[in-house]
Amino acid sequence: MKYKIIISSIFLVGSVTSCTKLDETLRDNVTFEQATKIVDPVALLKSSYDGLNDAYVNQDNVWALSEFPTDEAIPPSRGKDWDDNGVWRVLHTQTWDADNAKMLSSFNALLKIVYNASNTLNFNPPAGIAAEAKFLRAFAMFSVVDLFGQVPYRVPGSALLKAPDVLTAAQALDTIIAQVTAILPQLPDGPAIKANKDAARVLLMKCYLNRGTFLNRETPTFAAADMSKVISLADEIKASTRNYVLTTNFYDNFAPKNDILSKENIFTLDDGPGKTGTRTGNKVLKNWHASMHYNQKPSGWNGFTTLAELYDKFEPIDQRIGAAYPGVTDVVGTRVGLLIGQQFNQTGAKLKDGLGNDLVFTKAVTLIASGATLETSGIRVVKYPPDLVNDNDDADNDFVFYRYADVLLMKAEAILRGGTGTGALALVNEVRARAKATPLLAVTLNTILDERAREFYWESYRRLDNQRFGRFLAAYSEKPTVSDKKYLLYPIPNNALAVNPNLKQNPGY
Amino acid sequence: MLATIKKSAMLLLAVFGFTVMALAQTQTVTGTVTDKKGEPIPGVTVSIKGSKTATSTNAQGVYTLTNVPSDAVLVFTGVGVTSREENVNGKSSLNVDVETSVGNLNEVIVVGYGTARKRDLTGSVASVKAKDFNKGLVTGADQLIQGKVAGVQIINTSGAPGGATTVRIRGNSSVRSGNQPLFVIDGVPLDGRSARPGVDINLTDAPGRTPDANPLNFINPNDIASMDVLKDASATAIYGSRGANGVVLITTKKGLSGASKIDFSASAGVSNLFRNYKVLDASQYRAALKEYGLTSGDFGGNVDAMDEITRTAISQNYNIAIGGGNESGKYRLSAGYQNLEGIIKKSGFKKYTANLNTNFKFLESKKLGLDINVLTSQTTENIAPIANTSGFTGSLISQAISWNPTHPLRNPDGTIWIKDAAIGQTTINPLTTLEAYSDVSNLTGVLASVSPYYKFNNDLEYRFLYSVNHSVGTRRTSLKSYINIQSIEGKGWANYGNNELTTQLAQHTLNYNKKISSSLNLNAVVGYEYQKFDSKGTGQSGQGFLTTDVDYTNYLQGSTQDSRRSTSFADPISELQSFFGRVAFNLEDKYLLTATMRADGSSKFGTNNRYGYFPSVAGAWNISNEDFMKDGLFDNFKLRVGWGKTGNQEFPAGSAQERYSFSQGSYQQSNVANPDLKWETSTTTNAGIDFGLFKGRLSGTVDYFNKQTSDLLFNFDAIQPAPATKYWVNLGGDVINKGWEVALNALIVKSRDLNWNLGVNAAFLQNELQNYVGPAVLTGELSGQGISGTRVQKLENGYPLNSFYVRRFLGLDKSSGISTYTDNGNSFFYIGNPNPSTLLGISTDVTYKNLSLSVNLNGAFGHEIYNNTLNSVLNIGNLGSRNIAASLLEGDIQENKSNGLAASSRYLENGNYLKVANATLSYGVGNIGRSIKNLNIFITGQNLAVITKFTGFDPEVNTDKQIDGVPSFGIEYIPYPSPRTFLLGVTFSL
Repeated sequence: MKYKIIISSIFLVGSVTSCTKLDETLRDNVTFEQATKIVDPVALLKSSYDGLNDAYVNQDNVWALSEFPTDEAIPPSRGKDWDDNGVWRVLHTQTWDADNAKMLSSFNALLKIVYNASNTLNFNPPAGIAAEAKFLRAFAMFSVVDLFGQVPYRVPGSALLKAPDVLTAAQALDTIIAQVTAILPQLPDGPAIKANKDAARVLLMKCYLNRGTFLNRETPTFAAADMSKVISLADEIKASTRNYVLTTNFYDNFAPKNDILSKENIFTLDDGPGKTGTRTGNKVLKNWHASMHYNQKPSGWNGFTTLAELYDKFEPIDQRIGAAYPGVTDVVGTRVGLLIGQQFNQTGAKLKDGLGNDLVFTKAVTLIASGATLETSGIRVVKYPPDLVNDNDDADNDFVFYRYADVLLMKAEAILRGGTGTGALALVNEVRARAKATPLLAVTLNTILDERAREFYWESYRRLDNQRFGRFLAAYSEKPTVSDKKYLLYPIPNNALAVNPNLKQNPGY
Repeated sequence: MLATIKKSAMLLLAVFGFTVMALAQTQTVTGTVTDKKGEPIPGVTVSIKGSKTATSTNAQGVYTLTNVPSDAVLVFTGVGVTSREENVNGKSSLNVDVETSVGNLNEVIVVGYGTARKRDLTGSVASVKAKDFNKGLVTGADQLIQGKVAGVQIINTSGAPGGATTVRIRGNSSVRSGNQPLFVIDGVPLDGRSARPGVDINLTDAPGRTPDANPLNFINPNDIASMDVLKDASATAIYGSRGANGVVLITTKKGLSGASKIDFSASAGVSNLFRNYKVLDASQYRAALKEYGLTSGDFGGNVDAMDEITRTAISQNYNIAIGGGNESGKYRLSAGYQNLEGIIKKSGFKKYTANLNTNFKFLESKKLGLDINVLTSQTTENIAPIANTSGFTGSLISQAISWNPTHPLRNPDGTIWIKDAAIGQTTINPLTTLEAYSDVSNLTGVLASVSPYYKFNNDLEYRFLYSVNHSVGTRRTSLKSYINIQSIEGKGWANYGNNELTTQLAQHTLNYNKKISSSLNLNAVVGYEYQKFDSKGTGQSGQGFLTTDVDYTNYLQGSTQDSRRSTSFADPISELQSFFGRVAFNLEDKYLLTATMRADGSSKFGTNNRYGYFPSVAGAWNISNEDFMKDGLFDNFKLRVGWGKTGNQEFPAGSAQERYSFSQGSYQQSNVANPDLKWETSTTTNAGIDFGLFKGRLSGTVDYFNKQTSDLLFNFDAIQPAPATKYWVNLGGDVINKGWEVALNALIVKSRDLNWNLGVNAAFLQNELQNYVGPAVLTGELSGQGISGTRVQKLENGYPLNSFYVRRFLGLDKSSGISTYTDNGNSFFYIGNPNPSTLLGISTDVTYKNLSLSVNLNGAFGHEIYNNTLNSVLNIGNLGSRNIAASLLEGDIQENKSNGLAASSRYLENGNYLKVANATLSYGVGNIGRSIKNLNIFITGQNLAVITKFTGFDPEVNTDKQIDGVPSFGIEYIPYPSPRTFLLGVTFSL
């Protein structure tokens, strides 16, 4: 009898006391409230800087979308290599659709930066940090409007399950210009690895220079007032305390320790040992690995190449066409710039390809490589001198977003497009002189486009440059026909459309 | 009828209110009911003649009757049992043996939170007893019932000893990871995860994510008495939000009354590679080079790399179990040791288990009982350098099968050669990989439970169960600096991982079993359960080690500072709180009705949906007990119909909340909160027939089921701009799984000397995603050189889950030798389905005198397998440097060496197979002398033969190629190959 009572009480007590409220407590993460108690805005902002890697450095995103549908880069499939389900080929032939994985990953990677930067503002950061965050947000938004023509925009703190409003290209540009102009005074003067005043000025220059393109992709127009803005911003940068000059050796801008070597880099991503562990996507090493052959050193992935169109734009003495780079060519044989013809090791011995043929990079290249030049077709691009010490994710080459050479050429272009100012030819020749190229006698818009190709090849500029000069849809190697105007913009990825009804698919898709 | 229900309801109320009824003082009788061979029979009704007092024997054949007048007569009855009466005569212990007929419908089946006689079941439940388990080398408990239960597909996803399995009960119902059923050991639901730290060598060009271990490795298969598979919702709904994928109940062996007995078993085996890829040998390779006019690629040697990395593996198993006891206490103590070498050199699996199982009864009345169970285990895995996501540098298997057979693996002095510019600096010698890679995982686990119970009277029992399941896994992985992988060469790489997994459970159940009237029996269970899941771990890695002479993981401090990565995690503790109940009515043994209800609250669910409710109801009609069927053909004929809702809550803890996470020097928001996040619901309708003919010589079950899964849990695209690309939602759309299951068992020959039993089970399944309007979801991400990012499976409305979506291959162009596709490969098509339409299992055993032979076959039909290995590892482009599949040279058209390897239907292979999974020949020597009893000698063969057109290692394959948390299914990529094993063993008792 008493046992019954004991047992019954155990049961009753047990069932009552074990009832729980089921509140979930985080252990390795924190809630927003806990996060607000962490007073380290730099650590909060770091995720936005880190996000730049996946969006811009990794070959999958902005870089691929900006280079492959142009006349300066091609991603050939090489038999068993680089087929990747055709995802690269459709970029070059301008035949993509709204299910393309590269577009989705770019859209997501860019808007993640936008979100993280924006979210920093929820934590009442000091003015300097807030300014950096707003710059990074504007920087990524600029790429979104460039590639996709519209930008979903969240007011900081708004509910994440609610579909955000979408800014049109015009609204997005106005927002970027207004915000960047407002924060500019609060930004630091440098260094290049931080969002800085001159980086903000370059971004503004790009906004004004491209506004006419963003508003009318088919037939861009250029307002004189915008062009004059470009010129005045360029002059502000020239007058900046950082005293930019064009780096004597063109390739020093991209080399390991370019944070010290370069005199012209305005905005870069801080790469190097111990800095990249928190970043996703391939790191800066992709800049040499993606193009180099397996049997070169460092051993590459034998992928992307450039086209005859670019190579033929150079005169042979132009340093930018290719050069030996001390500390690389004398150590492993690999040259920098454009690699064409027989490749050698450091002792001058000929390298072979995987089929046993001499490793001779050819000018001719097809989208689907085959035959004897299966491995060797295409001119290779090694703009970043390889970091032989850290030939891995920790490579010490800071990835370059903005350079002073771009400021000069944008200014020259703005002058030609009706901005108030003179001296376009001198600006272009300043850039050419550094490369030891013959000075031009006259400058036209077309020569500027060509000069931009020579100077900025593989720096993610070509798509927008071609659009601004009305040349994007034209035929080029391995894209024989003029494409439909819908390809001026990338489609909004179907996955994004499905979750945000405010996004409207770009025309034609 | 109504009055009876009312009466029982009032009784229940009274009981749950703990009204204590006064009862007369009389004696307690207990005992064991066995058959003539001494095997205990569960489910025999023991009643006092002329009274309503009755009980039935438990799974061990034991009964306890209280308040028995000392002059009473006990009646033992049951289906398939010849009735027998015994006088009590004042005895407190009364063991009886009874005559049995075949096909024991009294067989007790373990069901959720209780047991039921087979004939009282209303749901779709299959039970497999130890004697019917698969024999041979078994590490995970699920492998014991492979091919044994209709509608249950069990795939050994890797041939590695201790490797994971894929278990699918009635098909895939979820669009994200977590299709495995719930495993419950002696009433304790398991977490389902393994504490083995995962390793993903996430460096450029490094091998990638290694396959998982089987979370059931910690149980010694030799300690399992039975496994019961609950398939339909009426059986699984009592497991609520964890029941949707089916439930497998594992019951361990218990001690039996009587003198202490020692059971001993030992076996030793040899294993070899079961099947190999057909690649070129050296002379064929030279011929191929000539055919293609290639001047390079012949290095003059003659090697078989696969042969070099594999071996004849030796395995040993020893088990000892001691059991015994009396009416007031029983115990079983067992120890097991398993040492399995893998067929890949250096790989292997060792397991030590020690289990204690005790059952005590206290008080004069024996009403108070206590069950204590402790399962301990220690496993050591030597893991082979094989990864699911290897890129162009490959992993051991791809390196070996694609090895140029003319290129020696060793230098003339016998040392392993590492780099050769002639064959390419990136070509990795598989022997280098084998030597440079070391990966050892240790798992220590304990599952302990304490369960006191009290029998208020013959009708009412209260039971409390507390258990803790704690496992700790460590893993030391290193890759030495001399390997020519870009990110490792000259630096090496090492990782130390440590994970802890703890599950605690407190369970209260009240069981009421009452014969309400002579014709109506009521069985009711109500309970409360609280579970707590805790998972955490750490990992440290580094590079830049100074010497390879000692293991890197022994001096991680020797790595360079910049290369060090350290991670740790502690998932939010997730709590699951449940209230459940079941009532079962049995009217005249003809009409059966079962209803269950469970309310599950989980801390993982969003704040707006904390509790889910999972009801079920099922009825059965034992037609054979009707008068008009009494003397008919059937000795059993039962119709069953059931309906119910079950849930699935396999998503990561913390998914519903806004979270900020940390990485080196930074923190950021990492999750989109979803306060509406909840379980996934499966609604199942099931109808079945159980029948027995010719005195049980032929019996069978036929079931039809329709399972509709909605509120699909999915890691869906976040609305950008967002802190993460994906977040967890319940997606609109339904996954429909429907089909038929048939199981037949025939005792074809039954005589004194010769018996032949044949069991066949088959399932015919259909799977489709319906009412889904979102964007198509791609998964099944291929790996290997040139096909990065290619996803070949698509989830789309109107198609089976994981349908293959690829280019249509039209053959090679006659003149160019280049692949041709419909629409030049610009269009993709749904070609092929990885979900088998038919599953087949065949078991047969023949006994002649002391000799017996049992053979188990299993097969799957009507599906395709994507051969990622053929696609990216053995393609024609390799010719001149690496090896190719022999089949590439068999066609009429010479394939162009520069032909691309675009993923297409070319690599979809017919997945049909029928496999002789295992066969055992055993000879019962009998007793030797006075001490050795039941000596039995056996020989078992596993993976004896397979009939298939699939060209890979084994058609029974499922390499994990998930991406974004969306599972893949039916893709083969350089897996650990399956072994063929022969095992010789002996068992006896003392």
